[in-house]
Amino acid sequence: MAVNLRTPLEVFSVFKLTTRERWDIGTPLVIATLSVIGVAFIYSAQYSVAASSWKMQIVWLVAGILIYVATSLVDYRFWLRVIHWFYGGCILLLLLVLFFGVERYGAQRWLSLGGFSLQPSEPAKAAVLLVAATILMREKVGTVAQSLGVLGKLALAVGIPMVLILLQPDLKSVIVLPPMVFSMLYVSRLSTRFFVGALAAFMVVMGTVAWDASRYIKFMEENDYSYVRDRGKYEPHSWVPFKDYQRNRIISFTNPDKIDPMGISWNQRQSLISVGSGGLLGKGWTEGTQAQLGYLPRAVAHNDFIFSVIAEEKGLLGSLTVLSLFGLMLFNGIRIAGLARDRFGTLIALGVTVLFSVHVFVNIAMTIGLVPITGIPLPFISYGGSFLLSCCLLQGLVQSVYRFRKDFT
Amino acid sequence: MSKGFASSFRLVLLASAVLISFGSVGVRLVHLHVLDRERLVSYVDRARKSVFTEQARRGDIMDVRGDVLATSRTVIQLGVDPHMLREEDRGQWPQLAELIDLPLAGLTGIFNRTERVTAEGETRLVRWAKLVDEVEESTYATIQDLGIKGVYGNRSYRRTYPRGQLAAHLVGFLNRANQPSGGVESFADFYLRGQDGWRETEKDGRRREMAQFRDREVPANDGFSVVLSIDSMVQYLIETELAYMGETYTPAKASIIVSDAESGFILGLANYPTYDLNEYGRVPIEIQRNTAVTDLLDPGSTFKIVAAAAALERGLVTPQTRFNCSIDSIEFEGRVRKFMPDDHPYDHPLSVAEIISQSSNIGAAQLGMTLGEKGMYDAARQFGFGEPSGFPLGYESRGLLNPPSQWSALEITRIPAGYSVSATPMQIHYSMATIASGGELLRPQVVKEIRDARGEAVYDFGGVARRRVLQPEVARQMALMLLGVTEEGTAKAAAIEGYEVAGKTGTAQKLVDGRYSKRHHVGSFVGFFPASDPQVVITVIVDDARLPGGRINYGSAVAVPAFRRIAEQLISYLDIKPVVTPETRPRLAMEGLRW
Repeated sequence: MAVNLRTPLEVFSVFKLTTRERWDIGTPLVIATLSVIGVAFIYSAQYSVAASSWKMQIVWLVAGILIYVATSLVDYRFWLRVIHWFYGGCILLLLLVLFFGVERYGAQRWLSLGGFSLQPSEPAKAAVLLVAATILMREKVGTVAQSLGVLGKLALAVGIPMVLILLQPDLKSVIVLPPMVFSMLYVSRLSTRFFVGALAAFMVVMGTVAWDASRYIKFMEENDYSYVRDRGKYEPHSWVPFKDYQRNRIISFTNPDKIDPMGISWNQRQSLISVGSGGLLGKGWTEGTQAQLGYLPRAVAHNDFIFSVIAEEKGLLGSLTVLSLFGLMLFNGIRIAGLARDRFGTLIALGVTVLFSVHVFVNIAMTIGLVPITGIPLPFISYGGSFLLSCCLLQGLVQSVYRFRKDFT
Repeated sequence: MSKGFASSFRLVLLASAVLISFGSVGVRLVHLHVLDRERLVSYVDRARKSVFTEQARRGDIMDVRGDVLATSRTVIQLGVDPHMLREEDRGQWPQLAELIDLPLAGLTGIFNRTERVTAEGETRLVRWAKLVDEVEESTYATIQDLGIKGVYGNRSYRRTYPRGQLAAHLVGFLNRANQPSGGVESFADFYLRGQDGWRETEKDGRRREMAQFRDREVPANDGFSVVLSIDSMVQYLIETELAYMGETYTPAKASIIVSDAESGFILGLANYPTYDLNEYGRVPIEIQRNTAVTDLLDPGSTFKIVAAAAALERGLVTPQTRFNCSIDSIEFEGRVRKFMPDDHPYDHPLSVAEIISQSSNIGAAQLGMTLGEKGMYDAARQFGFGEPSGFPLGYESRGLLNPPSQWSALEITRIPAGYSVSATPMQIHYSMATIASGGELLRPQVVKEIRDARGEAVYDFGGVARRRVLQPEVARQMALMLLGVTEEGTAKAAAIEGYEVAGKTGTAQKLVDGRYSKRHHVGSFVGFFPASDPQVVITVIVDDARLPGGRINYGSAVAVPAFRRIAEQLISYLDIKPVVTPETRPRLAMEGLRW
């Protein structure tokens, strides 16, 4: 009886081990360095409380390496075949988390999976990236008029997960997506007019919100009202259809000195002090008083504010080293986007790179007081399993683009 | 790149955007790390460094036998940080409420109040709310065993006066602001208060002190203890006597002073009315005054010892020198001076001894005239009148004694008898004590010893003589004359068989609206015993006692019986040995002191 060997082997045929023997070694080296730095400073951030998140981070890193290698070995075009399953699965998880999620810090962002918990918004970022790249690869993009169909599809595909994540609510995971999608549209040669228009619309909306918020602050302060007790008093004075509690949320994001229900302005102030007191060479590993004594709140020192720990303990040298490593990774990403010979590869490499850029920029900028505080973590360094795994998956995709690109040699 | 799918221009543009954002981060990092460093680091130090003070324990005030008159007790003030409370401890709340005797509703109310609104309308978190002012150490241990997180006590010291009103005017008190007010508390504050310790240390983000970062530490030095010369038993005795007097005669005020004849240390000093030191806030300020040194009175007849002693000292008279005391005026320095009348006429010229024992105004005036105006004035100054006695505690009046240049024609007849001169009970007491001590004017002292926290003496006060006023022989003669006062003079009621009580009565009309009143008198008796070997000096001064039947408050009426009662008790308490009587009487007769 003839045994059909082809079918079981087909499953593995996506791992094209022998066909492409080239590897980009720059990015994996950077990732490895950043990961080691990450583990070291998670250890340091928790040194005085003797917590062991750093051990857990190593476990996640091992899993991350497996995911990175596996993703690298798979031809990125494989994802074209399974993207609807992947995307659908992520949407399902996002729905599940809304109903069965674990609530922490007033938001339902985690799914409990036995021993550990998963944040479905992390794989959803990869799903949004891949689905956007698929749509932009398959459809023709040109002038705004020609592209209305594809823009509609894209808006739907990106909008659904964004809304689901917003419902958790998890604003920070949502705001990293638009820059990524717009960048992908931009390199897809969509007419410049679209971006000018989008920028203008964005400016008008933000301008209106900002103008309304500042009018609100002025109104409350002139009347000596309390933002909490006197909610609703401003509503009749504005034609912007916001409720005052929503204005409070905007203000607590932009002006934590006015409303600070979570005490985040303290975090930022202490973070600035951490960075400044680090000086040129820092106070030394595990010697940073801001982190060790809990001035930098312990709940955030090892994840969202890990960069301030590095800056305090390793000084300007340490913080610029980390920044440069990210710079290397991101320029290598853009280089790979340029090397790719098909739209899909370019869009993946670029989308991942922009996504990382936003994470790195917003995270570091918030620790040094350039942007308001958001809980966006620092890739490969901040503690967090789901985020680390999704970072490995995304960088694995870039490696795959590098390895499986077509050559015209 | 030009062969790629994407336009290289667009990729470069995106790359530039990333570069610019990273560049801005880099610039900001340099700014924070290098340029802004000073300011940020100084903020770190300011937030973290702090100085904790450690309260020193205030020293005790003890009497001469070590009985504690004032002490500092450790008290625990119990409070709560409502933000540290845990839901799982709620079951223990009723037990806590019971332990501290607070209704559960009240306790829950304090526990649930996590915020307060300041005067400026800002909302602040409540991190400490008082539950009870004072819990016992044992109760506190039980409370800690309940294990309610966030409920804890702060230890501090509270000043208490275990003997209440005993020696109130001497001890003084510590007010609510922990400032000493009067008495030894004020006088010896330097020794008592000790030195608060402090430590400079660092706090963590939750403002808890971190012992491992202590920079400098200076431990608290507990205050020294002060041992008084006061004997609680003597003090109790005289306060009981004053209370009895107050109840029976309702005087305006009264003072009793008991001192050691040889050293001058005060064994007891009390005033009527008095108060409980633990309740100082409830009595008017006048009652807190030590009237024995602040208030003035005309000493009256007790002052006659001055003229007599001075005349003897200068050899102008002997005890047997006689004066005609049946005249009503005499010419002195070219002017006729009218005497203050005596109570009754005398059938013979009085010897100096008789002038004292019979308390003759006319005789005293003639003794004064023998001294002359300046001599009389100098004698009074010598005996301590018109100058502060040196009593250490609180304000002291120096008395009123005008120099001769301001005297009118009558002063030389009045002053020797104790009028036209004002003195404090303390000055009167120590003028008599001069005779008891053998002629030295002593300083009234009340602090005997300073002891450190381990109980070892660091300073020992000895008796201090201010000056020699009389030769010992003259003092002895005076003592014998004063013995005559109780043997056969105005104060026979003061005599105690075998104890040679020497002393002098005094009755002074009070100045009321600028005129000497016929109804208001200050009666006094100042004495010591045994005359041949004086042990204690006792002064009893009663201002405006109300006697039954409207009798006059002569020194003999109220002060003498009081003196006698005190003397009798002191004899047994201090174990004063009697003088063998048979020897005394012949000697008195031999020296011609008999009337």
